[in-house]
Formats: sequence, C-alpha cells, structure tokens
Amino acid sequence: MDIINHTDHVEIKVQLDLYSITVLHKCFYWYGANFSVDIETESDKVGRVRLFPKTEIPVAEYPNLLSKIRNDLIDFKTRDIVSKETQNVRDLLIAKAFSHSDELDDSPPGDISDPVGFDPTAK
Amino acid sequence: MAPLASRKFKPLEFYSSPSIAYYLLPFRFHRLNDSREILVNEVGDYIVAPIDTARRIAAHDISPSESIYADLVANFFISEKPIPDLIDILATRYRTKKSFLDDFTSLHIFVITLRCDHTCHYCQVSRQSEDKHQYDMSRTDIDGFIDLMFKSPSRDVTVEFQGGEPLLVFDNIVYAVKRIEELNRADKRRVRFVVCTNLSNINLDILTFLKEHGILISTSYDGPEFIHNSNRTFSRGNSHATVLEKIGLCREILGNDMVSALMTASSLTLNYPVEIVDDYVAQGLPSIFLRQINPYGFAKKNRMKNAYTAEQFLEFYKTALQHIINLNLRGLFFLEEFATIILSKILTPFPIGFTDLQSPNGMINGAIVYNYDGFVYASDESRMLAEERDFTFQLGHVKSDSYQKIFYGAKAQHIAKYWANESLAGCSECGFQSYCGADPVRHYATQGDLAGYRPTSSFCITNMEIIRFLIELLTENRSIERVFRSWVNKTPL
Repeated sequence: MDIINHTDHVEIKVQLDLYSITVLHKCFYWYGANFSVDIETESDKVGRVRLFPKTEIPVAEYPNLLSKIRNDLIDFKTRDIVSKETQNVRDLLIAKAFSHSDELDDSPPGDISDPVGFDPTAK
Repeated sequence: MAPLASRKFKPLEFYSSPSIAYYLLPFRFHRLNDSREILVNEVGDYIVAPIDTARRIAAHDISPSESIYADLVANFFISEKPIPDLIDILATRYRTKKSFLDDFTSLHIFVITLRCDHTCHYCQVSRQSEDKHQYDMSRTDIDGFIDLMFKSPSRDVTVEFQGGEPLLVFDNIVYAVKRIEELNRADKRRVRFVVCTNLSNINLDILTFLKEHGILISTSYDGPEFIHNSNRTFSRGNSHATVLEKIGLCREILGNDMVSALMTASSLTLNYPVEIVDDYVAQGLPSIFLRQINPYGFAKKNRMKNAYTAEQFLEFYKTALQHIINLNLRGLFFLEEFATIILSKILTPFPIGFTDLQSPNGMINGAIVYNYDGFVYASDESRMLAEERDFTFQLGHVKSDSYQKIFYGAKAQHIAKYWANESLAGCSECGFQSYCGADPVRHYATQGDLAGYRPTSSFCITNMEIIRFLIELLTENRSIERVFRSWVNKTPL
C-alpha cells in the first residue's frame, strides 16, 4: 500500500488482491463527512483512492490520519473475511430462527437414553 | 567455522500450525479506544479484547492454548466444527432478540387533539391554540381507530393518548377508554392506557377516573424553573410551578409508579447537565431520560433555541451521566433511561420495546399513530412531517382504507426496505448493530433519504458514541458495572 500526500488531497494505492474494491468502498464510505472520496481502479491489480479534504487539515494531524487509514483498511478487510466465511452459517442461523416448524432443527448428537427406562420418543 | 546452532528450547507456539483449524461464526467488531476493541456476535454477546484480536481471529491465528480461545468458542464467535452443535440454541436466542415482531403492533397512539394551552418552542407537533375545536378527533374516527386497533394480533396493547394537550378533550378520552374496555370484554387482551399530558388541566375528577381505570401519566418536566419556563410557556400561569404541584397531586392519588416525567434538551438545557439531574433528584423523581430534540415541527423553526450538534449533545449527555453514576455510587438509586435501554440490550437476551433502537424499527410493526384528522401514520415523527405538508409516511385514512392497506400496503412495504439496520450501508457491518436501530423517518427528515448517510447522521453519531461510552464504562470499572446492572435489574445496589 502506498499513501502519498499531495497538496490538495491524499492518494492511497492498494493491491486489489489484498484490498478489494468492495473493501475500499466500505472503508472510505465513513470518510465522506470530512472528505470528498474518489475510488477507481488504476489497473486490474491496483486500486486508487483519493481523499479531498472538505476543510483544511493541520499538518500535525496528518500522521493520525494516515494511521487511521491503515487501521481502517485492515479492519474492513477483516470484516470482509468474516462476512464471506460466515455467509452460509449466518443464513442457516436466520432460517432456523424464523422457521415455523422444526424441520430445520437438528437432533442433538448421541443416543437418547434414560436410567429409569423413560423413552421420550415413544408415542 | 560455521556458527553453532542455538541450543535454546523453542516456545510451544513454535511447534503449532500457523493456521489453526477452527471455523468462524458471524461477528462484528469496533475499536473502543487505542488499546481495546469489542467483538459482538450475532445475538449481541460481547467480548472486549486487545486491539487486533478480530484480525487474528479472522486469520485463524488464535491458538487453543490462549485463554481467549475458550471464550470465543463458548460465546459463539468461533466453532470447532463447520456448524456448531448448539446452533439451534443460537437460533432460539436470535429469535428471542427479534420476538418483538411476534405480536406486531402493540402501541396505538391516539392524537386525540392538536389543541394545547402551552407554547413550547421545541414542540414537534405544531400544536394549535385552545379554541380551535376543528383540531379534535371526532367520535366517529375514535370508533374507527378502535376497530382498527382490535384487528392487531397483539395480545398486549398500550393505548397512548397524545396531543396537543389530550386533557382538553377529557370527555373523548373517557369515551375511548370505556369503548375499548367494553369491546375488550370479549377479546380479553391486556390493555394498558397512558395519557401524555402537561398536567395543567388535571383535577380530582380526572384523577378519579384515571385511578379507576389504571391509567398511567407521562408528563414533561425540563428541570429548574428558569430552564423549564424558558422552554415551555403556559398561557395561564407558571408552567414549572403548575407541573410540580400537579405531579405531586398525581403521585398522591395514583401512586408514584403511575407518573413518569420526561425532559427534552433545548440549547439552554445543554449548559446545565448537573443542575437538571440534581433538580430531578430533589423533586423525588426516580429517573431521567436525557432526550435530545427531534427535528420536526416548531423545533425546526426555532433554530436559535433548538439547533445544536450531535457533539454538543454528547458533551451534555456524558457530563450528566457521569454525575448520575456518582450519585448512585454514593447510595442513591437513580437511573438514566436511555442508558438503561442500551444496557438492557447489551446485558440481557431480550428485546426492549424502544422503537427507535429496534431493528426493524418499531414503526408500524410495533407502534402506529392515529391522527386527530382520521389519517394514520407510521410513527409519531412522521405525522409531524405531515404538518409540514410532507405525506411520505401517511399510510391511509380510517374511513377509506382497510387494515390490510394501512399496515401491509405499498407504503408500508416501501418503508420496510429501510427499517432494518442489518441491510443499511454503514450499519450492516457495524460492531454496535445489535445494540442500535434504524430510523428512516429521522433520516428522511434530516438528510432527505430514508436510508440515511451514516457519516453525517446525527442519529448514528450520537448512538455510536453513547454505546461506545457505556461499554467503556461498563468494562473498565467494576463499581460502575454494578450500578449499570442495578439499573437493568431495577434493583438498588
């Protein structure tokens, strides 16, 4: 990742196989209050984000801004990983939660038994 | 000569697989401060951990030998199988969190008149003067709304009379209460009545009726006299003196737990967080709801008195909350209602019934508004937009539209696309999603868009920071944790 300070904007270049366009949009969505955000693909492999501040940023604040950008990109990448890996189990969870019958319920593992011979499955 | 190989023993982790075989379960996270972050699972359980923990979990870098590993498994953040054995338990808990949807509309608000004898500069209803009877709900419409109400599947119903000042049409309240009770003899629902009133017209006859029918009172009290009277002008006297006298009378006749008071923060209010809390305590009130202004009606017009930023409100809120916490630590049981609502969402598995902090938002599926003119609105705030000739959230009319059209029609379906924070940009991956809600009406009113734009949303800025602040206090100080739990349990320390 390269972060370049221009006179009127901050430019961030990332490898798209590391931070996808989706991750870039979700991350820099939150910068819209204080920046005009421009996101584009420079090539198949490189994405570019330009942040144009709406009000002037003091020079002393730039290290904090750059640190925040790095942290936010890592955070949104993490969220993307979790979202993709848990998509199926989340859909299953919600389907089970709102199912009106027990057709989606799984039987507990193991065999049913009772020391006094009670059989809960008996009709 | 080749260097000697190190003969030191390697740590256990050296021999571990770099990628641990556990499976991720759905969770979200948020940085609380520079050193800690909160992880929140799909049912709102949380773990506070050092920064970078979420990344390590997602990278499958948490080792079973770490103490957090067991917590992550036990609390459904990770699983040792692709589908955890207890997924049905998790599903039941998820359903419990959303169980407020089971009964559909339970709060039915009757705006029985728009007339009022107060002039409050933050009034969001754009009330009318006392003599304008064309702003009273007709008995025909009262009957029609009661019939609509009884079509709701909810077995627990709250009927809330609002205005204007509803006691200016007390006869109509008597009529409505008696009709509802008569119809309910066959239906046998649990019905609760509330009157939202400034109390200026209350007398013994009214109180006798309220007591006979178990009707609760909700009133407005903005704190010390100079603040209350600045915010709320009473046409026939001193609003502050009147409301205090009448609160005392109501508590004497109805009981302390049948009377509640709410404050609304004007620009003046923001300068006196401690004084307002102390005044509430001095008046014997058991709690305070630190509520910011809603941007509707007169409130929007009086910008000098009512316009402030989310950051200004947050400064007021945090100062007042810290003061309330200190009072509790010194032995007084006094709670802040908004914090209690959020803490209940964090610390209990149950929904809390506060429409603005629900997902889906409680409009239509939790609460509905029957206006004095016969029209039906999705929420209290949306009928205030109608006073400004914006009918975006007007669902129908009691005389001409069926229950199906009002509650399930095209407008309701359109609003439904924007009322769940699970599907909104910015909210869908927010670490505080389980503790927050969605507010399409507020976003439409303030940003021109039902979905809203989170980076500049006062709803988002305020809620996120209050939730973050509460979690920080809850998890960093055991004494404050005990105070917060006492609020949630409604039991003094």
